[in-house]
Amino acid sequence: MNESTDILRFHDVTIAPDSDRESGISSLNLSLSPGDLTVVLWEKEQVRIPLADAAEGLVSPVRGTVSFLGEDWQTMAANRVASQRGKIGRVFEGESWLSYLDVDQNITLAQRHHTRRAVKEIEEEATHLCRVFGLPGLPRGRPSNARWQDLQKAACVRAFLGAPILILLENPTVGIYADVIAPLINTVREACERGEAVLWTTNELQAWNNPELRATARWRVLGSPTCVMEEAREAT
Amino acid sequence: MRVIGGLGQMVWTQWDELRHVAAVIGTVLYVSARPRYWVRTVRRAFVRQVVAIGVDSVGLVCGVAVFVGITVVVQLAFWVAEAGQSQMLGPLLVAVVARELSPVLIGIVVIVRSGSAMTTELGIMKIGGRVHVLDAQGISPFIYLVMPRVLAAAVSTFCLTIVFILVAFASGYLFGATVGTGSRDLPLFADTVSRAVRPKDVLAILSKSILPGLYTSASCCIGGLGVGGSLTEVPQATQRALVRSVAGLFVISTVVSFLTYL
Repeated sequence: MNESTDILRFHDVTIAPDSDRESGISSLNLSLSPGDLTVVLWEKEQVRIPLADAAEGLVSPVRGTVSFLGEDWQTMAANRVASQRGKIGRVFEGESWLSYLDVDQNITLAQRHHTRRAVKEIEEEATHLCRVFGLPGLPRGRPSNARWQDLQKAACVRAFLGAPILILLENPTVGIYADVIAPLINTVREACERGEAVLWTTNELQAWNNPELRATARWRVLGSPTCVMEEAREAT
Repeated sequence: MRVIGGLGQMVWTQWDELRHVAAVIGTVLYVSARPRYWVRTVRRAFVRQVVAIGVDSVGLVCGVAVFVGITVVVQLAFWVAEAGQSQMLGPLLVAVVARELSPVLIGIVVIVRSGSAMTTELGIMKIGGRVHVLDAQGISPFIYLVMPRVLAAAVSTFCLTIVFILVAFASGYLFGATVGTGSRDLPLFADTVSRAVRPKDVLAILSKSILPGLYTSASCCIGGLGVGGSLTEVPQATQRALVRSVAGLFVISTVVSFLTYL
């Protein structure tokens, strides 16, 4: 694939370590075209890598460029940045729920914000995805009252809702591997078949090694606090 | 020299904060005039804030208004009657209760009840990474969090001020009529008050309620979203935002009063 058809492209990207919570990245060249699935493994001991944040233009590289659909995040206007981020679905590492909204409102928030789709239509799609991920239906009630396993599944629902162009999965199977790995792999495969790109970061070796996970590229993160990402030939 | 330097530093800090608040208010007003920013999630956030700041405060405001009605309105009615200056009751009620007292008391109620909640909520959201999550979903924290709060605070403060004035006058009249210290003639009382209202009073009430509402909410949003990475910063940010808001309330009130009397 050439540069113009890439959904996401890191070109010689170096990101400085932010604090003791986040690693930096050194000289990363990585691209995702439509239908690509890239899996990145990082060690459990390493602090969080800001790969997903960089992919969304939320952290500025000290060198290089991160482009989404051919546009450098750093040169986009604020409105453009917001609308482009609306085309990205993401499972966030850690807590990601607004406490004053119900779980279903949290799940559908981005779709209600960025699109004019009827709420009923959005909720029907979300309900279907919830059933795919093993939830009985669209979870109601505040996030504080929900089981964290259900919230983790709901995070997957939110990431795939509205068929985003790019899907960023940050450790999506943590704590619920057995429950969620099969539906997640199926949903990822369907998304790739639709021409979406998926960037899956994990620190779980069993996810990285799963033979069903047919990744177009596999990367490993080495070193800390500034990481080097190295493309792996195959799962280890 | 050190004292003068410290004083100068303090003035510059205050000036910077004032410019920051003014920039936020200006941007909110500019952005809110553009319909494309009023997507359904923002409209819903605005309604939620109007309920939280305005509707939920009605009970407290009515309680304070009854107290002010019983004390101030009845006192004024009694003393102007004693002084044989009954024709002054209307202008005095409008000037003291409606124009001066009401906006300040409502401003304090909004600062204490909603300003502190706003700063704390946004501070906790920021530290908990929820603001980052919104940003990552392409939902601008300024459009979704700040704009609804600032506008809702302005609208709610004005509406609460009107509620306060009406309840204070009604309770003052009822108490005065019951204990026999004021007129029992309701149409006369209403006519005396309504005749005393001049356009500059309406303008003063509008300015004294809306401007502090804007200032308080912008200041509290800045305080909440300005916290760093530690929860211990939230109480400090809340304290600073409240002090700034109270100071702003009195400064705005004084300036508007001064302009009214010019």
